[in-house]
Amino acid sequence: MSAHTDNYQLESARWATGRNVLFFAALVCVIGCVAGYLQDPARFFHSYLIAFCYTAAVGLGAFFFVMVQFLSGSAWSVTVRRIMENIMYTLPFGALLFIPLAFGLKDIYSWTNPSVIPHEPSMSGKLWWLHENFFIARTYIYFALWSLWVFSIYRQSTKQDTEKSIRQMHIASRWSAPGLFLVVAVGTLAAYDWLMTLEPTWYSTIFGLYFLAGGALTFMSIVYLVAVGFRRNGILTHSITLEHYHDLGKWMFALTAFYTYIAFSQYILIWYANIPEETQFFRHRMGGSWLYVALSLPFIRFVIPFFTLLCRPAKRNFGILTFIAIWSVAVEYVDLYWVVMPMYSPNGPHISWIDFATLGATLSLCGLAFWSRFRAHKLVPVGDLRLEQSLHFENA
Amino acid sequence: MKLDPDQIREKLGIGADKVYGVIGEFDDPHELVHAGRKIREMGYTKLDAMTPFPVHGIDDAIGIPYSKLGWIVIPVSLAGTATAALLIWYVGAIQDKFVIGGKPLFDFTFSIPVMFELTILFTAFATFMGMWALNGLPRLYHPSLNYKNSHRASDDRFLLVIEADDPNFDAQKSAEHLRSVGAGDVEVVEG
Repeated sequence: MSAHTDNYQLESARWATGRNVLFFAALVCVIGCVAGYLQDPARFFHSYLIAFCYTAAVGLGAFFFVMVQFLSGSAWSVTVRRIMENIMYTLPFGALLFIPLAFGLKDIYSWTNPSVIPHEPSMSGKLWWLHENFFIARTYIYFALWSLWVFSIYRQSTKQDTEKSIRQMHIASRWSAPGLFLVVAVGTLAAYDWLMTLEPTWYSTIFGLYFLAGGALTFMSIVYLVAVGFRRNGILTHSITLEHYHDLGKWMFALTAFYTYIAFSQYILIWYANIPEETQFFRHRMGGSWLYVALSLPFIRFVIPFFTLLCRPAKRNFGILTFIAIWSVAVEYVDLYWVVMPMYSPNGPHISWIDFATLGATLSLCGLAFWSRFRAHKLVPVGDLRLEQSLHFENA
Repeated sequence: MKLDPDQIREKLGIGADKVYGVIGEFDDPHELVHAGRKIREMGYTKLDAMTPFPVHGIDDAIGIPYSKLGWIVIPVSLAGTATAALLIWYVGAIQDKFVIGGKPLFDFTFSIPVMFELTILFTAFATFMGMWALNGLPRLYHPSLNYKNSHRASDDRFLLVIEADDPNFDAQKSAEHLRSVGAGDVEVVEG
């Protein structure tokens, strides 16, 4: 029906410009990280942990949603699926980004110093788990499992570009079902390890979902921002239509509600039970001027995005969606900052240039992995049998 | 009291002497959307479509405005939120001042789950009842049922209606217009 077709291969000049920008950003930020480490190692490692968890959460969100697209056989998402897959492709690089952290465990986690660990009954069962080498080994087991799945699914999807057969779709679906388990179960363990053990005596079983839900929302916002960035440069303008943006907006709306549901569930159960081992998490995060961050979270993470996106016209408006996407990407960082930083500066947030350097470094390095895929492969899965359906997709 | 069918028909604006509109039949949804758009470009405003399943793009093609249901639902939803908060506040902090589990008499933390649930409940009621009210349900009779193939609109045919209260309506001409955009079977249907 449509007379217009897009060029599904990114022009190499444009690709090179993107690569140069990312490479320059990575170079500057990595130098910044080294300088930050030399200036204040403890500060650097805390900042770096936030940045590392941020990109890992986005990668996990992508991993989850790519598999959901395969399992549900959804047609609407086909034209944006390659963007999702390329974000998913950055997840395995977390294994490399983790290397600096492996040298900073003593600066971040109090359990690395046995004499400091309080001798409480709640700790006795955890001591065998909280061991530095075991911690590092576990992280690499998580990444090994995820990488196996990510590369297998990615390979099938790109193979379909040339094979144009339904076989790859079936193989990718078969990987996806156990893969969903891998995201949630292993992702929960990863969140426990990287973030929850900042407070070794604290525990919250829902914390894994809290981490993953925030990452999923950030991922969806990034997919939207990449697609809009393409649109502004005249790329895929006929393939990713207002209908697809509307659906991405619906997902941003739904994930905002989902994140709030999880975050509030965690809060109310801790508030209600009022047990010291549990309440310490919020006590430490409401101390000093952290209180204002804690009190603002319900508004910046729920009230503002939820009511902005509530009505249908808002989800079909590029200006509003772009604002909320940038907003969601920013508040996820505020959220992780609020989870990690009170352990370093208990009296309140002190923003440092090191925070920007570390976040810039992990984002631009993952960005390079992401961007490299657009040269190697087409911008949309051209071999997908539902592509035609996706191009003509309309919301009811 | 004796019911007079003619009087009832008169009151409802239906009957063999009234015209409901012209109905044209199409074989597939794409034809329907195309024809609907063309008919609308001819200046008709009171159009309707009957299809076995939701046809994407038909609302836009025949100029059905986006539903006003949301404007009914949102105030009722917020009323649900407020009801829950007020109920918990009044019962716990005004009427029966029991301290339970060392918790405050009123706090939003423990009210939010109930506020959430009551919002959902009120929203469901408002959506369902609002939809019925806007559609004029329950309705035991609809003039389109007088069309001989109306049952096929729930099977394999797609019907396009030009209603008689359209200012441009003229039984002969409108039927001709429907045929000109490719309707297979065109019939003037009584009200």
